[in-house]
Amino acid sequence: MSVGISKAPPATAVAPSPADRRPRRTRRRRPPRGLKTFEFAMMAPALTLLSVLSWIPFVILVAMSFAKVRTLGGVSLTFTGLDNWTAVLGDPAVWASWWRSLIYFVSIVALEMLLGLGAALVLHRLLRGRSLVLSIVLLPMFLAPVMVGLLGRFMLDSTIGLYAQLLQAAGLDADLLASPATALPVVASIDVWQWTPLVALILLAGLSSVPPSTLEAATVDGAGYFRTLVSITLPQMRPIILVALLVRSMDAIRYFDIVTATTNGGPADATKIIPLKLYEYAFRFNNQLGKAAVLGLTMLAFSIVLARLFLRFFGERTAGPTQGGDA
Amino acid sequence: MAFSTDAFSRRQLLWGGASIAAALALPGCSSGGGTDTPKGSAGGGDPWKQFTGTTINFISENTSPSAAIAANLAPFEQLTGITVKVQQMELDKVVEKCKLDFSSGTAQNHVIYADPYQILAPMADGLADLRPLLDSGNYPGVEGGLDDFISTQLQATGTFIDDKKVFALPYDAPTMIMHYRRDLFEKYGDRARADLGFDPTPSDAMTWQQYLAVARWFNQNARKDVKYGIGAQAKQHDSLQCDFSNVLWAFGGDYFEKGQSLGLRGSDDPGAVTVGSAAGVAAATFYRELLSAAHPSSTTWDWTGLADAFVAGEIAMCPNWHEFAAGEEKAFPGKVGYALLPKGPSRRAHIFGGTGIGINANAKGDELGAAWLFVNWATSPQTQLMSLGSKVGGGTPTRTSVYGLPEVKAEEGRSPSKFPNIRTAQTVLKAWQPENIGLRPKVSQWVELDTIIFTELSKMLTQNADPAATMAAIQQQMQKAMQ
Repeated sequence: MSVGISKAPPATAVAPSPADRRPRRTRRRRPPRGLKTFEFAMMAPALTLLSVLSWIPFVILVAMSFAKVRTLGGVSLTFTGLDNWTAVLGDPAVWASWWRSLIYFVSIVALEMLLGLGAALVLHRLLRGRSLVLSIVLLPMFLAPVMVGLLGRFMLDSTIGLYAQLLQAAGLDADLLASPATALPVVASIDVWQWTPLVALILLAGLSSVPPSTLEAATVDGAGYFRTLVSITLPQMRPIILVALLVRSMDAIRYFDIVTATTNGGPADATKIIPLKLYEYAFRFNNQLGKAAVLGLTMLAFSIVLARLFLRFFGERTAGPTQGGDA
Repeated sequence: MAFSTDAFSRRQLLWGGASIAAALALPGCSSGGGTDTPKGSAGGGDPWKQFTGTTINFISENTSPSAAIAANLAPFEQLTGITVKVQQMELDKVVEKCKLDFSSGTAQNHVIYADPYQILAPMADGLADLRPLLDSGNYPGVEGGLDDFISTQLQATGTFIDDKKVFALPYDAPTMIMHYRRDLFEKYGDRARADLGFDPTPSDAMTWQQYLAVARWFNQNARKDVKYGIGAQAKQHDSLQCDFSNVLWAFGGDYFEKGQSLGLRGSDDPGAVTVGSAAGVAAATFYRELLSAAHPSSTTWDWTGLADAFVAGEIAMCPNWHEFAAGEEKAFPGKVGYALLPKGPSRRAHIFGGTGIGINANAKGDELGAAWLFVNWATSPQTQLMSLGSKVGGGTPTRTSVYGLPEVKAEEGRSPSKFPNIRTAQTVLKAWQPENIGLRPKVSQWVELDTIIFTELSKMLTQNADPAATMAAIQQQMQKAMQ
């Protein structure tokens, strides 16, 4: 026996008007003011894991930044107030290092985004052999950064390096890693060589997700390639550009391996960016983990500010149906 | 079913998390006490076999002696039944790993390549005192006793402040001497002598000024055979400090008031910083001049880069660690000569880079015993003789008895030789004499001081900074670091 269930709409239901079909700006539901105990209990395992993985190191880092830290013969923290903060923030070498980090950061992120976009556009238009070309383009990013650094060092070595010999044949005798003026651009170029393919891959995914019908409509309306790119394609790719920017930015701030393998911060500190300075305090110098903690915290603050900035510029206008909540 | 409606605000939650984290962060732990002398149960009474089945790790800088040991571990494993895993890497990385290992309270690495300046002095607490192991009847004795080690090397590489403790046994002894292409000096020597008015071939009589003059002469007259007269290890690296120190000491300067006496036992009171003295400025002025005549890539080379350039025929001569001789003999059999470094206004100085091997203080039980057997074996005369003849380079002995062996003496003048490094023996034995040796100050802050020195020197060389200002900057920063 079957039971029929009436699917007729309630008498009060009316067909939605065209205006109602438009996505409405919805107010975000305010979260409850407190967390209920049951909910807290359900979240407890995850919160515990989260605190183990992030809060404990963070609190230790903050504590270390106000202390002289000894690790040999048992960890000991001797409270020294603001000594580490004043020593680090009052050190001109640290500010010089931050300045170099900024130059480095802006140059590699900008170059990688531009070149990555260019490569993605070319790859997107490739109809034949795209997979093969993509595989070749992606090869550098599969190498360990320290290998890439060593490769760069050997290629540019004046005794055995292929690039050095090519440059010498072209009349450029100068050793590029020997001069403070050229060392940082060279190190940045090595990073660009390795990580542009990743940006290209991310942006290629973004290009593929732009609806063809939109592009066809633009063509029908008479928009040329560059107009379509600037007015249709790139705005639609904002979320994916944000992803690429965040991924590369967070990496660029922590950049370490390639510089260590090529120049070790030299010559004349020309490539000593902040992560190398932090490494020096933490692992080379005696009992200076407190200063390393200060640098680590400033790097964290810088990363957060940067991420917020990128989110503000690239994230706000990406609100789509998924961000509207369930109202 | 009823649910409690008690609530936690976000602020309470954050404070709670932070409090838990702080509570977990604060507890310390302590360690201490003397070194145990464990006795193994295996081997049926054979003291070499008592730790059979144990595996230990040896961490070392990627030096020739360690390459030789790593390539020839079979005799030790057959003798003891102990498995040894050797890790080799750049010295910076060894320092980093040791620091982490010592701090963790565990012994990931049991046998440590204990560089006296970068590991022993700053981290002596992390190394076991070997004296109880040396004195214990549980183990085979050290062949020839401690007296068989070259005594200055035992003090410089094995002790720190307290003479009663021995933290490491001398393992290698790299010392900077002059390496030069004899074939080039035979070809151009007469012409250079006529032009310069002195014998250009490196020898005991050469001064630093003459060395510079010969470099310039080669740059102008021998390009057909060699690109530059000299090269240097002037990368922003420990190597730059080592290279410069030879000149500093020769010109009468030093880093601290207590000078060379700090290099043997070390001190926690080295006296005033003196590197900015007139002699220091004169040395820096000369060093900058020297580098202006050197191969332009010198500022990118550490000691390995310089050795590679020499072997590639890029330069005619350079000061470098004597253990690079084996590679040079392969590249130019019989064509490389070795000499003392040039004299300065005050003396001649050859920086000593020898290192001992010690044991992680966190090693316990069988691992400690096995580590001690390995240290004993690796520094024994037989192993040093094996290392001398290793096909992968090898070092030179730290035992006086090995230099006296007839088969070693017979090889001193031969090229090619089955012990290629021994060709430098006559020169390094002179370099190790008290009046010729150059010892860095063994103080716990040395790594930081070293970084200050090579960073400022790098600025002087690549940005053409004023030597007086450079030495003043080093002086000021060193004083600050010592406070």
